[in-house]
Amino acid sequence: MRNFILFVRRFFNLILFLTLEIICFVLIARTNTLQGNALLSSANTIAGIVYQKREDVVYYFGLKRMNDSLINENIRLRIALAQTQGVDTLKDSSVQRKITLDNDTTHIVRFANYVYRNARVVNNSVTSENNYITINRGSNQGIKRHMAVISSTGVVGEVINVSNNFASILSVLNVKRKLSARLKDGTMGSVMWDDGKPDVLILEDIPKELKVYRGDSVFTTSYSFFPPGILIGTVDRMRINKKNNIQVLYLKSATNFRNLQYVYVIENTLLDERRELQDSTKKAK
Amino acid sequence: MSDYLKNFLRFCIIILIQVLVLNKITLRWWSQPAGFPVFIPYIYPLFILLLPFETPVWLLLLCGFATGLTMDTFMNTAGIHACATVLIAYLRTNVLSALLPKHLSEYPNQSPGVKNMGWVPFLTYCAFLILIHHSIFFTVELWNFSNIGYLLLKIIASTATSLLFILAYLLLFTKQTALKS
Repeated sequence: MRNFILFVRRFFNLILFLTLEIICFVLIARTNTLQGNALLSSANTIAGIVYQKREDVVYYFGLKRMNDSLINENIRLRIALAQTQGVDTLKDSSVQRKITLDNDTTHIVRFANYVYRNARVVNNSVTSENNYITINRGSNQGIKRHMAVISSTGVVGEVINVSNNFASILSVLNVKRKLSARLKDGTMGSVMWDDGKPDVLILEDIPKELKVYRGDSVFTTSYSFFPPGILIGTVDRMRINKKNNIQVLYLKSATNFRNLQYVYVIENTLLDERRELQDSTKKAK
Repeated sequence: MSDYLKNFLRFCIIILIQVLVLNKITLRWWSQPAGFPVFIPYIYPLFILLLPFETPVWLLLLCGFATGLTMDTFMNTAGIHACATVLIAYLRTNVLSALLPKHLSEYPNQSPGVKNMGWVPFLTYCAFLILIHHSIFFTVELWNFSNIGYLLLKIIASTATSLLFILAYLLLFTKQTALKS
């Protein structure tokens, strides 16, 4: 026993050092399983308040740009609205509705029910391997984990941590997850992030034979937790992987992650039910 | 002002500068076609580097852990900053005693600085520990050795940038009259 105490006293610093490092690695490992820990994320109250104060100052410098993006979004929404409203019901006996939305062959989403909530971005990063965004809405305002987040121009990410008044979002700019995506003609693929460059995304698994042009749009699918048909990005350049003859598309992301100010958090009220069903089907096998 | 208060204030100032200003600056060394990764300069290890000479190792370790965890909270990295900072806190005493001519206990009530170490030893000390910090940080963050060139580029570039910002901090926040003497 005496020897043991002497040993501890002699190597106290080394032991303390190793203990702290082990704690760090446990924390890192726990986060990498994507469970997330609410305490050590910028969704906690102190970090949230500090970021909120900073955002209050920075806010005014982006007003002009934000105005422009909101007006553009208004125009887009008005066009979409006009397509569904401008229907001449008196023309024929049967109601003719010509809705020129994307041809959508999946049926689950027809019955999905989306609730939109707006939120202000109080913190944002584009430089790490996994980038997180903090918004000023939390469980008090009805935000829950796994909700989808979009901006006025395109996808942003997924809510992964919620406190009372703040929430952190794992943005699309991360190396952990892929996002299901489709091209205009319905070809599915998965989008990942080309790390290091905050406005380039990569769409993989596209067959070589498929003709893709620069500027083609890439949308979300209903396979993911996003509503279908939300713009992910536009094709910037194409490359064919010689090894396996698969086409890789480099996308210019639709959202400008550098100056994100307002986002919409989307709640799919039927998502839990769908998840439950999918999980139980998996288990039943 | 007591040493504790002074270091606590310095901790607050450095963390606030890091979180409120530097985290908002995304730098790249040359423009997009080359595809160079963007990064932000980290000056918060400076808090560990500037603690007084006599600080015992266990206190250094705890300070490093606290600093790292604070940064982790703000940047959502859960332990990566803490891991790197604890390592440099552990190595600090050895590096200092290798660089200084006298034993560490012969510098009572002093902190490492340009004034009592001279420019070259102090910069070596900073550069070495910052390099270790950044190597550990980016390696653990990327956790993937398939792209070693990218990793090395990122480490070297951000070490250089962080050192520039640390120099700027030192020139701004130390007494200039004392430096000239």
